[in-house]
Amino acid sequence: MIFCTLKNLDELKNRATFGRQPKLMSKRFFLLAFFTTATFFRGMAQASQGDDFMRSMGKMYVVVAAIAIVFVGIVAFLIYLDRKLTKLENQTKHND
Amino acid sequence: MILKHGWKALGAAILIYTFVAGLLIPLKTGVQSIIPQSIQSGRNVSFRVQGYNTQYLAGAPEMRAWLKMDDDHVLAAFQILVQNDRELKVGFQIPFFLPTDKKVQDFTLIIDNPVDGAHILPSAVFVTQDSINMALAKMYWPPEKIEGLHEKAGISFPFRNILAETIRNTYYHVPLWFAMILLFLGAVFYSGRHLFRLSYRNKITTGEDRMTLDDDRMSLSLIRTGVLFGILGLLTGMVWAKNTWGAYWSGDIKQNMTAICLLIYMAYFVLRQAYEDPEQRARIASVYALFAFAAMIPLLFVIPRLTDSLHPGNGGNPAMGGEDLDNTMRMVFYPAIIGWTLLGLWMSQISFRIERLKERWLESGG
Repeated sequence: MIFCTLKNLDELKNRATFGRQPKLMSKRFFLLAFFTTATFFRGMAQASQGDDFMRSMGKMYVVVAAIAIVFVGIVAFLIYLDRKLTKLENQTKHND
Repeated sequence: MILKHGWKALGAAILIYTFVAGLLIPLKTGVQSIIPQSIQSGRNVSFRVQGYNTQYLAGAPEMRAWLKMDDDHVLAAFQILVQNDRELKVGFQIPFFLPTDKKVQDFTLIIDNPVDGAHILPSAVFVTQDSINMALAKMYWPPEKIEGLHEKAGISFPFRNILAETIRNTYYHVPLWFAMILLFLGAVFYSGRHLFRLSYRNKITTGEDRMTLDDDRMSLSLIRTGVLFGILGLLTGMVWAKNTWGAYWSGDIKQNMTAICLLIYMAYFVLRQAYEDPEQRARIASVYALFAFAAMIPLLFVIPRLTDSLHPGNGGNPAMGGEDLDNTMRMVFYPAIIGWTLLGLWMSQISFRIERLKERWLESGG
């Protein structure tokens, strides 16, 4: 019993670190997502202070905003998939 | 290898082309504004005209301008002063009587020079006359004709007054909807195939009398991506609407119907959560995916055409055309649809593979 646990201790340690690392990753991704969207909405808020900005240069910034929204959306989808995979990896690590 | 993964590269390449061509090709020249917009007849009026994308200094020697009522009644400018590349002062001598039986008549402004080509502002000026006298109007109205209009060299997108540069959103907003509909159509295919195979269950089984749920997973992934595209389409549309129609949400029939359609599809995910058993979940979800698509058709294709809408191509008109989507734009717009759809398929496939891995790993791991 004791030998077993000693032998497994390293594995347990490994598991613990492996288990934590992806969690940190997901947290980092969450922060990234948060700041991306936050910056984006701050930019939007600044932009909407006057319609003048959005409507300057032949309303070009409307196109910029649209492309930015699509980009943020696709990145959000990537983060969603990433978190899904991370969860899956954690589960399979524990099952091994 | 190339066949298996080439379509992803193709999708990315087409999207890059869409971004480069869609953002770099300039707009046609246009008239941005004119001051004053309403005048009295029988006066000499000097208008201040602001051009868009114009090079008035280069085109100054052959600058011409007209106010046009209809094909037979045109008034040429008697004086054009070029202020700078973007600004003109145009003088018109408006006769006392207009050749119309209306008190207020709108005129279209046309400006032409060899460098910028002809550009117009419809209903630019409203002229008010105190009394109507057709006979005198015919005497005083000069028999002028517009001839030899120039065309600007090089490829360009149309200039629409309210849209201006946002006409480029045709490549970043509209194809999202096309892609969404195609992705949902794909979900219909996979859901249908799942149900079809379900009825021939004994023939297609994987080993121990268990049916593969891959079709259902693909259907789920396609709907996931489709809903993402739908939400992005709504958001990009709202920003576009704010700066062209004046409000983020103006209760336009197409906006409302799309929101309902997206809610129907979001309920798909909720429905899936309600079932523990994967096979039962797959069956119910497949049926729901078919019904959701059936509900989407009248919401997006029928109802918006029955009433007035701010969207082009609605209210009885079957499709976009004319200045909203000319042939130059089609060269970017159609590839954009293909590009966004391929990207959506790629995203769905990755999502599908994760779902499949989940099943396998959880099964093998207990």
